[in-house]
Amino acid sequence: STHLDTLRLVDPHMVAEARQQWTHYEALTRDLSLSLTEQLRLILAPTLATKMRGDFRTGKRLNIKRIIPYIASQYKRDKIWMRRSVPSKRSYQIMLSVDDSKSMGESGSGSLAFETLVMVSKSLSMLEVGEICVVGFGKNVRVAHDFDTPFSSDAGPKVFQNFGFDQEKTDITKLVRESIELFRTARSKASGSPADLWQMQLIISDGVCNSSEHEPIRQLLRQALEERIMMVFVIVDDLRNKKKGESVMDLKEAKFVNGEVKIERYLDTFPFQYYLIVSDVKELPGVLATLLRQWFSEVVDSSN
Amino acid sequence: METFISEPAVRQVQVQFFTNSPDIALPEEKQQLIVPTNIGRSGLSQILNSDSMLATPNIVPFQFLINSSFLRTTLEEYLSASGFSTETQIRLEYVRSFIPPIYEASF
Ligand SMILES: [Mg+2]
Repeated sequence: STHLDTLRLVDPHMVAEARQQWTHYEALTRDLSLSLTEQLRLILAPTLATKMRGDFRTGKRLNIKRIIPYIASQYKRDKIWMRRSVPSKRSYQIMLSVDDSKSMGESGSGSLAFETLVMVSKSLSMLEVGEICVVGFGKNVRVAHDFDTPFSSDAGPKVFQNFGFDQEKTDITKLVRESIELFRTARSKASGSPADLWQMQLIISDGVCNSSEHEPIRQLLRQALEERIMMVFVIVDDLRNKKKGESVMDLKEAKFVNGEVKIERYLDTFPFQYYLIVSDVKELPGVLATLLRQWFSEVVDSSN
Repeated sequence: METFISEPAVRQVQVQFFTNSPDIALPEEKQQLIVPTNIGRSGLSQILNSDSMLATPNIVPFQFLINSSFLRTTLEEYLSASGFSTETQIRLEYVRSFIPPIYEASF
């Protein structure tokens, strides 16, 4: 398949087709991209609404908690004022990982994944908040666009050439493990203060892998969290192409435990804490914004 | 980097059960199922008989067909013989078994 992959990248017919596809999806998601951009602007770049912080001898607003100690200290402890702190500019490294396995093509979720990829990458490049990387995964993990390269207008079609939805395995453990490595390398190359660098990954997939992977993935996710890498799983579940019972929400698995059959809901052991299920790309700007807002309030504010 | 010691994991595949006998048909939302690939006729039969599936009061032995051929091996052996990966869903027809089960290596 390496030979085929190489062909896909240089074949002029493939190149033209990828460009055409990109244009098609871009037109399809233009309004949604703009809406997502506006919502993300408020979440990712909170430069306006900064908090008042103490303690200063002069300032804009009194710090009420300092008043009694101030009086009690015979007016000596006089750092009773708060000032508006200068916000530091956050920068981001955002990785979009798209499931390139065969199940994506077979379940008809491939086009929904493309719509999602185009919409999100367009929004992020419009925002100019940092570096974007795109990887494809399945049996292997392949970088389709690296952090070092600007996401210019011809980047999109080039990215598309890397996807065929024909990989014969969905190895999410490998994806998470190799993503952590890619983020480490990117962090070491980043300019600016490491404290202001945020790393985030959006995994776009039908969500189905071998459930024996769920526990190893959970352990890797803990490691990612320690390294302040946020991983969000976007499960594309294209109900337009699915029958009743085929949605990932209804999907069940049979297990044999001591010779007895046990039937469990697949998602019950799904390891990603931050995941959302999208059956229509129109829902994505809203739910993605809600989820990111939740993440920032839980993880970022608690660590500050 | 942490390493994980794991036994070679059993692969899984999505199957879609169907039958031409209305009396043993599954409701639509139960036709889709992820199953381990190390099972054959008897494991699949056990799944269909289980409380969460057909909940048969007395065990009904089933035979299974893929593309109109009887499944006589495990799903894993079927997949490797036919060159399919676990990314492809298997359409699995089931019928009541009237012939006594012959010896099988699978459970
Ligand atoms: Mg897959």
